[in-house]
Amino acid sequence: MRNKLFILLVLVSVVLASCGTATPAPQAIPSPVTVIQQVVVTPTPGPNPEAVIPNVEANATVTFWTFWLSPTFDQYIKDTIARFNQAYPGVTVKWEDHQATFQDDLKAAFAAGNAPDVINLSVGEGWVSDYATQGLLLPLDKAVPQSVKDVYFPGLWSEQLVNGQNFQFPWYNFVAVDLINTQIYTGTPSKDASGNTVYTGGAGLNTADFPKTTDGIPALCATIKQKTGTLCDIRLTVNDLLSQMVYEGNVKVLSDDGKTFTFNSPEGVAWLQMYVDMVKAGTVDKTVLLADQDRDSLNLFETGKAAFYQTGPNLIRDVRANNPGLYGYLAVVPAPVGKSGVGGKGGMGISVNAKTKYPNAAIALAQFFTNPTSMVAFSKLVSVYPSSPSAYDDPFFSAPSAAIEDSAKPAAKDYISKLADIVPAVPNKADVNAIVLKHIQDALFNNVSAQAALDAAVAEANALIK
Amino acid sequence: MTKKFTLTPYFFLVPAVAAIAVFVLYPIFAVVYYSFTDYSIVTPPIWVGLRNYQQLFHDSIFWKALEHSFIYLLVTPTLIILSMVLAIIVNRKLPGISAFRAVFFIPVISGSIAVGIAWRLMLDTNGIINGILLAVGALKEPIQWLAEPALTLPLCMLLTVWLGAGYYMMIFLAGLQNIPEELYDAAVIDGCSSWQKHWYVSIPGLRPQITFVAVISSLAALQVFNEVFTLTGGLGGILQSGYTVVYYLWQQAFRLSHAGKASAIAMVLLVITLLFSVMNIRLLESGTEAEA
Repeated sequence: MRNKLFILLVLVSVVLASCGTATPAPQAIPSPVTVIQQVVVTPTPGPNPEAVIPNVEANATVTFWTFWLSPTFDQYIKDTIARFNQAYPGVTVKWEDHQATFQDDLKAAFAAGNAPDVINLSVGEGWVSDYATQGLLLPLDKAVPQSVKDVYFPGLWSEQLVNGQNFQFPWYNFVAVDLINTQIYTGTPSKDASGNTVYTGGAGLNTADFPKTTDGIPALCATIKQKTGTLCDIRLTVNDLLSQMVYEGNVKVLSDDGKTFTFNSPEGVAWLQMYVDMVKAGTVDKTVLLADQDRDSLNLFETGKAAFYQTGPNLIRDVRANNPGLYGYLAVVPAPVGKSGVGGKGGMGISVNAKTKYPNAAIALAQFFTNPTSMVAFSKLVSVYPSSPSAYDDPFFSAPSAAIEDSAKPAAKDYISKLADIVPAVPNKADVNAIVLKHIQDALFNNVSAQAALDAAVAEANALIK
Repeated sequence: MTKKFTLTPYFFLVPAVAAIAVFVLYPIFAVVYYSFTDYSIVTPPIWVGLRNYQQLFHDSIFWKALEHSFIYLLVTPTLIILSMVLAIIVNRKLPGISAFRAVFFIPVISGSIAVGIAWRLMLDTNGIINGILLAVGALKEPIQWLAEPALTLPLCMLLTVWLGAGYYMMIFLAGLQNIPEELYDAAVIDGCSSWQKHWYVSIPGLRPQITFVAVISSLAALQVFNEVFTLTGGLGGILQSGYTVVYYLWQQAFRLSHAGKASAIAMVLLVITLLFSVMNIRLLESGTEAEA
């Protein structure tokens, strides 16, 4: 009995031990666990900062013509168009580059009614006002938001005005420089017996003394001719002589009411007489003086037979490609400034066809190519300069220049900011220019006095616009 | 047997007639119309009647261009004589004579624009012509050949002669080879010298070719443009010394956008060339009839 009771007690104890809870051992407080939970947030895309033109037509197709940029800048153009498509998706751009026949192609396209929507036109050659006066370009002052207009230097936005209206987005500009062939200008350096550097075979001139104003050129040409027998490579802007008169001679070409030409003034005579004197002195190459294309002047310089040539640094690459030997003897100096004190107009602009089916898309493309980002990218490829002050904040423009092509870079912003179109809108400009060209030739080559030549030109030009 | 009328031959003619209508007749009629309009190419034409012709009549530059075009006709007798002489020279059975014929023909196939540019480079102030003349002491200072108004037109004419001599030489060569050898044998028997053989046999035998060359070369001379444009770099020569009618037409149309006035110039040129061709043919063929 006792045994049974004992066994029962053991069994009960076992059961109770297994069922009952022992006094729980104090549990350890769990240390905090840091749970990193990744939350993937897809950001709502914000507006593209380069898409500044509103109401761009959806599914627009715009054609864009450039002037003499292919094939060197093909990749730049294509990359910029690709960026444009990111800013303005849905707009298709068809790009064509035209070269020597650009003007003929463009006129034929306007005549046929299939002119491009967006057109690269030369501001320097006066093409913008040529087409704008015929009602072929879209006025931009009202079509473009003020915030966009403020991106550009004011002097460049207000160029080639027709009836006070602007028809171009200023694109790339040139800093006018003179390329100097130091072999002719200074001479070939060598060491004499004393170890001093001497220059032989040249005019013995110092590039630092290159004239700062255009009225110093005749004396320079006389010196070069006398010492080396070389003629000066100077070209008149035969397609825009009135413009050259204004910048170089500070000549007032048109009366304030725009009804009478006035370039036969003493200033006009003085300007023409400067060239007459150079021709009579035999110091200029007459075939280049009235060459139709500036390329003739460039070609002469590239042969190594000219002491200096006025151009933009962007054409130094041409010299390097065509005459690598000459490249090693190049110096670059700022081009002389005329009596107007203004260095010149802008270089190239982009305009919009007045009859484009997609005006906002066309304006957007024109603005995109001329915005600071696009311009800085272009400036890094070739020595041309932007039309926007903010573009010059890019470190590229303050970086030291290694190549001679970039020697104008440090002063570029200051120079470009002062460019301005100071030539009034001339009625029947092409015909008046042809009249001026005809009569100045009489003064240059036919022993007619400069005064008589300009008087005859003014009389004929006034009869034209009567 | 009566022929059955059929339209089939006319259907074969339709493509050619269509092409001529589109590419020849339509432009001619268009130019006639434009000559009575003020037309800038980029804007629609505006009817102005005879104004363009009146302006031309009083345009001293147009008359200067016309005068130069008539002076340019001097290349015609030059080409006839030179080409005939060359043809007589190469019309011999000598070893290697074909090479000479080919050499004389090279300028013809070289292209007037390329040759004009090459000549412009040679005649440049720093070109090879001045280089040679300076080297042999013929010049003390280089001559700016293309900047001398008195030399512009003669240099253009010289280029035209250089370009065309080979072509007309071939025409005369073909003509010479059609003259029966017996005529030359008869001339020798009659005691003719070499010079007299050509004067009495070759030249009369070449009359059809002379007529052809005279007409073609004079038309080409009246319509010259490439030589003037390339040698003057597009300017037309200092003091308009290289202006010809076609150059002036181009300048009015494509530089000054006066397509209406340019069309009027084209009409005047058309009348002149037509009259000239008729005169040429009648004069030369009347000579042939007189001989017959």
